[in-house]
Amino acid sequence: MVAPGDGKKLREGVAMVEYELHLLHNYLIVGALLFGIGTIGFLARRNMIVMFLCVEMMLQGVSLSLVAWGRYHGNWGGQVLVIFILAVAACEAGIALAMFLMLYRRSGNLDMIFWQSLREENQSETVDVEIPEPDEADHQWPILTPAGIEPDHDTEKPLHRSHV
Amino acid sequence: MSDSVRTLLILIPGLPLLSAVVTALLGRRVLRHWSHLPTILALGASCAMSLMLLLEVRQPAPDDSTSGSVRFAQVEPLWTWIDVKDAFELNGQSRDFTVEVALRADSLTSVMLVMVTFISTLVAIYAAGYMRGDDGYGRFFAYISLFVFSMTMLVSVSNFVLLYVFWEAVGACSYLLIGFWFQKPSAAAAGKKAFLVNRIGDFGFAIALFLIWTTYGSLDFHGPDGIFGDKLLSGEAAYVGGGVGLAICLLLMVGACGKSAQFPLHVWLPDAMEGPTPVSALIHAATMVTAGVYMVTRCSPLFFASAADPYVVGYGLDAVAISAPMVVAGIGAFTALLAGLIALTQNDLKRVLAYSTVSQLGYMFLSLGTGSLIGITAGMFHLFTHAFFKALLFLGSGSVMHSMGHVIDMRRFGGLRKIMPYTHWTFLVGCLALAGVFPLAGFFSKDAILIEVFVQGHSHSPTAAYYQVLYCVGIVAALLTAFYTFRAFFMTFYGPLRVPAEAGDHAHESPMSMVAPLCILSVFAATVGLLLSSSFGQFLVQTPSLAYVAGQEAAHATGSHHDHHHAHQLVATTSTLVALLGIGLAAFLHLGNRSQAQWLATRWWSAWFYRLSYGKFFFDEIYIVLIVWPLRLVAGFSYLIDRYLIDGIVNLCGAIPPMIGSRLRSTQRGIVQYYAFASIFVLMFFLVAALYFNDFVN
Repeated sequence: MVAPGDGKKLREGVAMVEYELHLLHNYLIVGALLFGIGTIGFLARRNMIVMFLCVEMMLQGVSLSLVAWGRYHGNWGGQVLVIFILAVAACEAGIALAMFLMLYRRSGNLDMIFWQSLREENQSETVDVEIPEPDEADHQWPILTPAGIEPDHDTEKPLHRSHV
Repeated sequence: MSDSVRTLLILIPGLPLLSAVVTALLGRRVLRHWSHLPTILALGASCAMSLMLLLEVRQPAPDDSTSGSVRFAQVEPLWTWIDVKDAFELNGQSRDFTVEVALRADSLTSVMLVMVTFISTLVAIYAAGYMRGDDGYGRFFAYISLFVFSMTMLVSVSNFVLLYVFWEAVGACSYLLIGFWFQKPSAAAAGKKAFLVNRIGDFGFAIALFLIWTTYGSLDFHGPDGIFGDKLLSGEAAYVGGGVGLAICLLLMVGACGKSAQFPLHVWLPDAMEGPTPVSALIHAATMVTAGVYMVTRCSPLFFASAADPYVVGYGLDAVAISAPMVVAGIGAFTALLAGLIALTQNDLKRVLAYSTVSQLGYMFLSLGTGSLIGITAGMFHLFTHAFFKALLFLGSGSVMHSMGHVIDMRRFGGLRKIMPYTHWTFLVGCLALAGVFPLAGFFSKDAILIEVFVQGHSHSPTAAYYQVLYCVGIVAALLTAFYTFRAFFMTFYGPLRVPAEAGDHAHESPMSMVAPLCILSVFAATVGLLLSSSFGQFLVQTPSLAYVAGQEAAHATGSHHDHHHAHQLVATTSTLVALLGIGLAAFLHLGNRSQAQWLATRWWSAWFYRLSYGKFFFDEIYIVLIVWPLRLVAGFSYLIDRYLIDGIVNLCGAIPPMIGSRLRSTQRGIVQYYAFASIFVLMFFLVAALYFNDFVN
């Protein structure tokens, strides 16, 4: 026997499940995107701080999917884990940044390429085809135009650094 | 009484062991030139206790058996070394394999103990003077103590396995002491040679033990089932003759040949003279080399059984009955003759004495090979007297060496009687004893041997003709003994005074610590034969295994006492004449200007013999061609296989990981991104693989 209101409830239930699934998919997609961007950033960039930021981004992607799964399953496990991750990430950030600071003091540079001494013996050092010399332009910071004054558009002046 | 025997039996080997440990630990740092003190004290105490043990054993046994002959043996078990239950089944009875560390006191043991400890005490006193100033002074006395421990244990253990253990231990001490001056290549080589030749003999001995175990089911001397235990000696169980009995005896004889330097394993003893002279006197003349004689004497019931039931080869008229005593006698007589012939022409004083030792040991085996009780006791008596005069002669030659600046070639010195009067007179006593001149020790013991061989040769047994030949060989060997002994004596002490340059201008008599042992030994070498010739045999026959032989002989008595008395006069006359003839010949050839000896060495009809004897019958060369070279070839071949085939395979296996590594090394560039990429890539690979296989499985 099916009660008169049952069909509506059932339909509502199905809609809820589909909604939850959609929601999960969306969050997982965003999480995967964050993870993927972080990965690519980690592989592609050489500045240690930027690499560290990329790692954090990967971590956040994972955290997001954990929260999403937690909601989908209707328990707090995912969120509890994320709190732990945040705490651990904070510690890790502290350690990592301290290490970067020390490395910077030694080499005067944040480029990862200066720290390849763990390579195998007899392997030649990896040298960039051309390590760009820091030129004058790099040390010029963007200049804010004075408020309310029409800036003189000097096209020869660079507005931002060519690279980080 | 029993307690005191036990204490004595433990202390006699225990004190030398203690002194060996103390000297080895403290010799280099603490004792230094006092290193001889612990050894001399321990050996002297051991000697005194051996004499006490001899007196204990001399008392007649409290109860006595029905057989009439007095037996005495006291076995003191200390602890059980090996105990395997039901190791072997013999005639439906299971036997336990037990090795009990037990010491025994009987006549044979106590005689050997007195001889070993007495000689070693004198040699240790002598060595304190002889070895003074040597770098290895402490090491030397540690070895000597260790040797005396091993030797006293060898003669007092009551088990074949332990006998074997200490048989090896004295061999190891001998090796260490021959190679004592190991910086000298010839000494190191001589030590190695002695060790390797002895291995051949020990191999035979080991197989003999296996055979005894499978035949009798026991390796103990004592106990109800022991080889010289109650059942076998009382006739309740029988000794095995025939092929097995012969095999056991011959394999034991192989062991004895190795240790006692009998043909064909005699080659190591002359080379062993590379060791310090006290060692030659103690180990290679008086004690260790007689271990083979002791062992054969101990096993005389086994040999007696083989004689009673010989192994017959062939059929009908061609049949030849071989018994173990015949082989022992043959080897002994042949060795006595061979070594005597070689000793005739050697120029090295110590080598003459070494060949003389080999020859005298041959006499002892000839005597044991008569297979009769009188023969066995005569052999032991010769062992006993020989220890005194041969140790005396070796110590005398050491004294000569000491003052001649370690020159031992007799052609380079002469006329030393004026410089070294004590050495000269004591050496003369030793020579007379060795040559067998009445009334010195050698006369009595050698005569006892020759008489017994003579009696065997004139018995009605089928082997009589064989022993007649051996008697002639023995007489010839006695002639040779007298000749080479006095040749060495005359060459060293007579003629014009000549001193080699090495001695410098201070050639003089040796110090008191060396002369005193010589004098003591010469007194014993002169008198021991006369004093003991009658009582020695009666005392020794209390040993259970010899008492068994006596009982068996009494059972098959043929009444040869008359023969003995008659033979005594004949043989004594013959051997004395032969000894005097040898001495006279030596005097004729070597006392004057020695032109006759030169003449004899260069005639065509005698030069070949001179060369043969001088070259030691080329045994070393024959062995090198027949044994050493083939072994070297095999070893070289094995080396090549090992070096190139086996090592090649191993190296190939070892080369694989570096080869792979060298390919992969280029990826290790120390850049973080590379590693990150590799780990991400691999992770992705496994993720994809896991997804794929999950789908596949579900």
